[in-house]
Amino acid sequence: MNHWSQALRAVDWTGWLGAAFVVLMLGSAVFAPFIAPFDPIEVRLEDRLAAPDAVHWLGTDQAGRDVFSRVIYGARASLTVGIGAVVIGALIGVSAGLFAAYKGGLGDQLVMRIIDGIAAIPLLVWAIAIVGILGVGPVQIGPVALPNEAKIVLLVGVLFSPVFGRVTYAVAQRVVRADFVKARLLQGARHRDIVLGDILPNCLSPIIVQATLLVAIGIVIEASVSFVGLGVQPPSPSWGTMLSDARSAIYSGEWWLPVFPGLAISLTVVGFNLLGDAVRDLFDPRSEARTLVA
Amino acid sequence: MSEPLLSLQGVSKSYPRGGFLDRMLARAKPFVALDNVSLDIHRGDVVGIVGESGSGKSTLASLAVGLIAPTAGQILLDGADLTELMRDHAGPWRRRVQMAFQDSSSALNPRKTVELCLAETLALRGVARAARRAEAHGLLALVGLGVELAPRLPHELSGGQRQRVGLARALAMQPDILFADEPVSALDVSLQAQVVNLLARLTRELGLTLVFISHDLALVRTLCSRLIVMRNGAIVEQGACRDVLDNPQHAYTRLLISAVPKGLAGRKDRPSSQNSLRGDVFEPPPTAVDHGVFTVQDLVERT
Repeated sequence: MNHWSQALRAVDWTGWLGAAFVVLMLGSAVFAPFIAPFDPIEVRLEDRLAAPDAVHWLGTDQAGRDVFSRVIYGARASLTVGIGAVVIGALIGVSAGLFAAYKGGLGDQLVMRIIDGIAAIPLLVWAIAIVGILGVGPVQIGPVALPNEAKIVLLVGVLFSPVFGRVTYAVAQRVVRADFVKARLLQGARHRDIVLGDILPNCLSPIIVQATLLVAIGIVIEASVSFVGLGVQPPSPSWGTMLSDARSAIYSGEWWLPVFPGLAISLTVVGFNLLGDAVRDLFDPRSEARTLVA
Repeated sequence: MSEPLLSLQGVSKSYPRGGFLDRMLARAKPFVALDNVSLDIHRGDVVGIVGESGSGKSTLASLAVGLIAPTAGQILLDGADLTELMRDHAGPWRRRVQMAFQDSSSALNPRKTVELCLAETLALRGVARAARRAEAHGLLALVGLGVELAPRLPHELSGGQRQRVGLARALAMQPDILFADEPVSALDVSLQAQVVNLLARLTRELGLTLVFISHDLALVRTLCSRLIVMRNGAIVEQGACRDVLDNPQHAYTRLLISAVPKGLAGRKDRPSSQNSLRGDVFEPPPTAVDHGVFTVQDLVERT
């Protein structure tokens, strides 16, 4: 694994900072029960709206719940939606983009026009409209009952797929014309091997950058959907619902209510963006860190 | 005369032009890239194809190697219809016709090392996993590259080295016929000499049938036994290379020759060995094949 260490040495400090934010948030999400000093949903009205102090590091909200614990647990909802949606969106979108670019002709037209159709309406409008129509309860798809969070992950994933599809298509269209693809065709290589072994690896860096940007957007969408009451349902904590609940606090002076979930969203979004830049460099064969791919 | 290795019989290739409506109303005539071309290539031939850009040279090569199908006419590989063969995308016929590309930066996958590029090619020819490494190194030696290049990525190679790797990859399939589509036009003059020397050597030593597509009449003259002159998708003149160049029958051939700077086109003498980095074009230096193993160091010392 020598080339890994060599590659990682070429990552600059912004990349490490991004990775640190992301690891911090992932750690919070996974180990929330061990980190959080209080139960995030336990109501203690006698402690309500306490300013940050030694006991409640980030203060308490209107129901006396510990804000720090809620921010820690809130990472679960945000990262599940952000990362889950990107994985689903990438699987659908990248496959569609590769298919359209490699196949060309009628299949290309069909796939790309569907993508255009979905992309014609803004993401957030789609998300709120569909969640609004489906309601906040679990949705029955055949024998499987999808809980609300899984529904949002799936929905945002499908909505992300056109973005991945277009990015992949744009790069893949250029790559499929390269002479090395012709050379593989002349060797009689299987189409699957050409697409996965020669075309996809040369499309990866913009896809990865897009993925990290979309994790950030997914987090914002989760927050937005929760903010308008269609996402994570109270009393479960999510950064979006916390911001939503904090609206009145902005005017009455409890600054810690909106600031900390907002900060959590910002740090995570910035973290994924910085990480994305670093990962893109790792995958670029012309960068110093190219040994990763070799 | 024996059965031709590759035979084109009245081959045409045209592309539709204009939008859907134009095509429905037959308002736009299709673009004809290749128009009723017939030619035979026999085993051991070294055929040069010359002509200006857009004359159909590359289309001809793409058709002949089975990358695209002709709109009309028939291409026969050892008597078998290529259009029929193309139904089996990965058929055994594939390895028999190979191609070296013009743009060396596009010809190699930027994410694959030289060794991987050659090894996966050998795998498709059916070479056992254990034998691939040694054979890949042998191929590098064959095209005059050292094994130290094997772990490198294409962007770590010079243009001439990439061009040779592309050639090694084509040779890895042990083709009967190799199409070289302007393999040297993107290289500087000293590298051109290297690659052309290499091709000359390979045709002699491997008995390779070569189709050399070029702008450069001087190179074609040194390398090729037959010459085909193309213009606007059609063959205007063909024959023995020297005959065509020394005694052109067609006005367009004369125009092509006159377009070459004086002192090159009519040159009867050969390029002097002082001008060539790798020895005389006609008498290439002894090679890896002659000596068993050799390194780049050997080559440098020899010159």
